[in-house]
Amino acid sequence: MPAVIETIAASRCPRCNLVAAPPTAYCPNHPVAMTPTEVQGIGEVVSFTTLHSPPEGFRSPLHLAIVELEGGARFFCHGAGTRGLKIGAAVAIEAVDDVYYFSHLGAIDRARLFWRRAGHAGDRVNAITRSLAKRVWKGRTRAPR
Amino acid sequence: MSDVFVAGVGMTRVGRRSEPLRDLMAEAAHTALAEAGVETPDSIVVATMNPEEFVGDGNFASHVASHLGFAEVPAVRVETATSSGAAAVYAAFAQVAAGLARTVLVVGGEKMTHLATPRVSEIIGRSIDPYERRYGATMPSLAGLVTRALLTGHGVGPREMAQVAVKNHANGARNPYAHFRQAVTLEEVLDSRMVADPLRLLHCCPISDGAAAVVLVADRRAVRVAGIGQGADTLALRHRRELTSFRATRAAARAAFAMAGFGPERVDVAEIHDAFAPFELISLEDTGLLPPGKAGRATLDGDTALEGRLPVNPSGGLKARGHPLAATGVAQIVECVWQLTGRAASRQLGACRVALAHSIGGLATNNWVTLLEAA
Repeated sequence: MPAVIETIAASRCPRCNLVAAPPTAYCPNHPVAMTPTEVQGIGEVVSFTTLHSPPEGFRSPLHLAIVELEGGARFFCHGAGTRGLKIGAAVAIEAVDDVYYFSHLGAIDRARLFWRRAGHAGDRVNAITRSLAKRVWKGRTRAPR
Repeated sequence: MSDVFVAGVGMTRVGRRSEPLRDLMAEAAHTALAEAGVETPDSIVVATMNPEEFVGDGNFASHVASHLGFAEVPAVRVETATSSGAAAVYAAFAQVAAGLARTVLVVGGEKMTHLATPRVSEIIGRSIDPYERRYGATMPSLAGLVTRALLTGHGVGPREMAQVAVKNHANGARNPYAHFRQAVTLEEVLDSRMVADPLRLLHCCPISDGAAAVVLVADRRAVRVAGIGQGADTLALRHRRELTSFRATRAAARAAFAMAGFGPERVDVAEIHDAFAPFELISLEDTGLLPPGKAGRATLDGDTALEGRLPVNPSGGLKARGHPLAATGVAQIVECVWQLTGRAASRQLGACRVALAHSIGGLATNNWVTLLEAA
């Protein structure tokens, strides 16, 4: 897990609340100007793939994912690998040379993250419990077919 | 709005072709015009996705019109990425329905096999959102993202996906116009090379050359265009809430059925845009032909095979007939007309009165559904 959670520039549609990262001038679904906002570089995998014949300028295999960031934006990024990755898995996003990469967060990373964010002791325990419960629940219902 | 009928159809054999694109388009156009009994149409609609880069020619509506000896006939070119052919049929339909023309020639075509595969992928990939492209997204990679999501709780697994390719290859084997005329087994599909995990090579349509044409008229003929609809979605895949259903198809189907005044239960045969095998499963549900979550099972059960309850892609689909981009949307109409008029030779279905054609532009940003009815 990165030491500092990345802050990513985004924009929000005042009409439908769609959050776009990177920011867009207009909402893709409404002819209204977007309001600037920020999202956190942490979220859940919506889908991922590994491309075995990537276009020129990219190394094979190329790992790609769409991640739903905290704050609601769906984000397109690279990854170092997809071994063991599942839809719904928690990942952190980091920029390396202006290119965004996702990395898998394990149970300990998730606990540390919630610990750091939790306001006081009660919240910490609740947050960790929620995180672990969610992980167990996902592991059961979203197992690959 | 007056009724619009299909008076003639024609297409070239699809595959690796040595002729120039304009000759392929002329071959298809001449066949359709001869069948329609029309020497000179009132208007021409040309569909090509990217002749500027594929063959180095521009101003392509005039290019084709002049080549056909129709330099005096008004011609326009229509482009909506991989659904350009369907869009051209729509434009021609609108001209006839509005009374602007009584006979319109639609001709779509593409030529790409003379270029190296990475170059073809790059040109087709221009239809993707620039930010996603900057991360190396190609059509197969976006389709891989859609497919991965589809494999989670939508009644689709590797066998269901593979069976689409098996079925469409089996149909293509009976189609003399098809790019691929050999069957494949489920094992061959499941063992084929991984392209964009979990999409494999045999889930993907080939790079093809070819052309197809139809003549739409105001006078009563054997097949009527009962309904036609367009639907749209965001250019960027990341701006969509849903990956496993295409809003653009749902909207197009709604519009087409509303115009036709009947529902999906009347459809006897469908040509579906299976550029990637799982897209056939998604699209069967998005068009309302099958209930959500049931397309995988129906495919494995043979319901969508030639002898099934709802034959899908009797031509072989994009998978086996091939996918010469802007020709495809027109070629789907050609197959539907052949089926409705009993001219599909060894792949002819039993009695059918209503056919549906479904075309996807880009990564489902600009989709079309067309309904044809034996008049």
